[in-house]
Amino acid sequence: MVVGFKDGIKLVGISIVCFCAVYVCTFMLNYYLDVVPLGELFDGEPTLALYEAQLAIARFTSLITGGVLGATALVMLIFYVKLYIDKSSVVLGVIKALGYSRVRIALKFWVFGLSVFIGCFLGFGVGWASMQYIYNGLTIEGMGEITPTFHAIIPIVLVLAPTLAFTLLACVYSYFYLKKPAIELLRGKGVEKVRKIRSGSSSKSFLGDMIVCTLKSRKSLVFFVAFSCFCFSSMVQMGLSMENLVTTSMGYMILMIGLVLASVSMFMAITSLVSSNAKNLSIMKAFGYSLRERMFAVFGGYAPFAALGFALGTVYQFALLKVMINIIFSGVENIPEYNFDIPVFFITLAVFTLACMLFMGYYTYRVNKISAKEIMTENR
Amino acid sequence: MIKAVNIKKTYGGNEVLKGVSLEIEKNDFAVILGASGSGKSTLLSILSGLEKSDDGKVEYDGANLNELCDRELTQFRKKHVGFVFQQYYLLSHLNVESNVKLGADLIGNKDFKDIIAAVGLSDKLKRKPFELSGGEQQRVCIARALAKKPDILFLDEPTGALDEATGREILDYITKLQAEIGFTMVMVTHNVNIADMAETVIKMNSGVIVEAINNSVSKSAYEIGW
Repeated sequence: MVVGFKDGIKLVGISIVCFCAVYVCTFMLNYYLDVVPLGELFDGEPTLALYEAQLAIARFTSLITGGVLGATALVMLIFYVKLYIDKSSVVLGVIKALGYSRVRIALKFWVFGLSVFIGCFLGFGVGWASMQYIYNGLTIEGMGEITPTFHAIIPIVLVLAPTLAFTLLACVYSYFYLKKPAIELLRGKGVEKVRKIRSGSSSKSFLGDMIVCTLKSRKSLVFFVAFSCFCFSSMVQMGLSMENLVTTSMGYMILMIGLVLASVSMFMAITSLVSSNAKNLSIMKAFGYSLRERMFAVFGGYAPFAALGFALGTVYQFALLKVMINIIFSGVENIPEYNFDIPVFFITLAVFTLACMLFMGYYTYRVNKISAKEIMTENR
Repeated sequence: MIKAVNIKKTYGGNEVLKGVSLEIEKNDFAVILGASGSGKSTLLSILSGLEKSDDGKVEYDGANLNELCDRELTQFRKKHVGFVFQQYYLLSHLNVESNVKLGADLIGNKDFKDIIAAVGLSDKLKRKPFELSGGEQQRVCIARALAKKPDILFLDEPTGALDEATGREILDYITKLQAEIGFTMVMVTHNVNIADMAETVIKMNSGVIVEAINNSVSKSAYEIGW
């Protein structure tokens, strides 16, 4: 078998992103569907406005969470399929050379949809299990206690449809990616990619050249690094500064989702960077480059994008909360004024810096463990 | 210059080196000869400070490499050692010039293009490794190692992945450059013909030195008919 079950299940990152997306969307959509018929209970101005605001929040949150996280899962899936084909290029080349058709090989990539199914299924399950607790926090005056009703459309839209769509996507994408001739696949990963990277200016130092080329050869990781920092910045700040706007538990939930998403995408980006540069790092070590220089050569180019992600996350959460207050809650009484939370910003920045240092510390240890001797004895 | 005393190394219960002792003088060309599995590559990685032996000591100008920590070993390699590998290990996304700069920048060598010229690749500065032949890639590897002006150059089967004619050309480049620049050279190979080119030949078998020969006259690659 070209791709095994293990390969599909290994994509924990995609499962986690899908889990977060479906978890939030499950209770928000369920709440929306349960609350829509209650509209006639509200005829007075303040309560009607609050009711409509609740509905808008449910719609808005589902759309934003589902959209952003769905797109992230999509990018991750394509990234993983591409990475898998690059890594298994020789094996796939042999299979293709033996006469297996492209369709037959591509169909084996259905297992990549497993990670999506696992994440969506668990997200739906946990979302449904915690539904009553979430409802209690969302109930408004005049609504009474709402008991969650099961809506079959939700598992269809949030579990079945994404699983089928992502499975199909993995097969179709691999079908087109495997278009290259068997001989090119046999030649191994990267030759085509390296061919596309244009040589930089020769005036730079070796470390400068390394930084630029590492960035150019792993452009997709720029997205994951920036996205990770964006998630951390926006959701931590949002979670901490929403205490007057939503329940404490909702604030913590946003905080947790932010931390999980940031950790998963950062972990994926850095692990991929280290493994794809293992040989370069060990050559540099053999020649006598210090650990700091080696780390700088591989990670240095991504630092500005991490900072950019953090800045964008700060702007995004501020704009989002402003929009919620000024548009969705306009007309609702007793909604506190929302201003940029400077203490929360500095706390988040400090924790972000600390988290980056911890991540780097761990990977410094990992990079240092890469043996220079190993590369001398490989391929023998 | 390098003195190894009773070097022992075991991997997973398999004793690869069983007490190896040798001495290599400055500007010497030493060849470590042996069949696959004889322990010659392990000996090379221990002599070059890539890894430590389990027992015994390696002295470089009086300093015991076994007593150095990882950071100090990295410093040692930075100051004194150059490597040429059988599989080249060029950085695939960097061009010839940048690959050679990997070595040159370590000591701030601004004249690294001279060494690229010396290996006959001046017209291929902007080429990527995949655009070069095997022999050309190995020449880049040699230029990269020599651009850091090492006191001692370690070569692990430098002609192992090359055809006969290209291998001979590479050996000729290396020996010529050694005569011009002046550095110590330790080469691991299983090719017995190459032994005639060296001043010191250390024959290994099953983790021990079975013979050490000093050639009074070393020959060129063409003279040995290889």
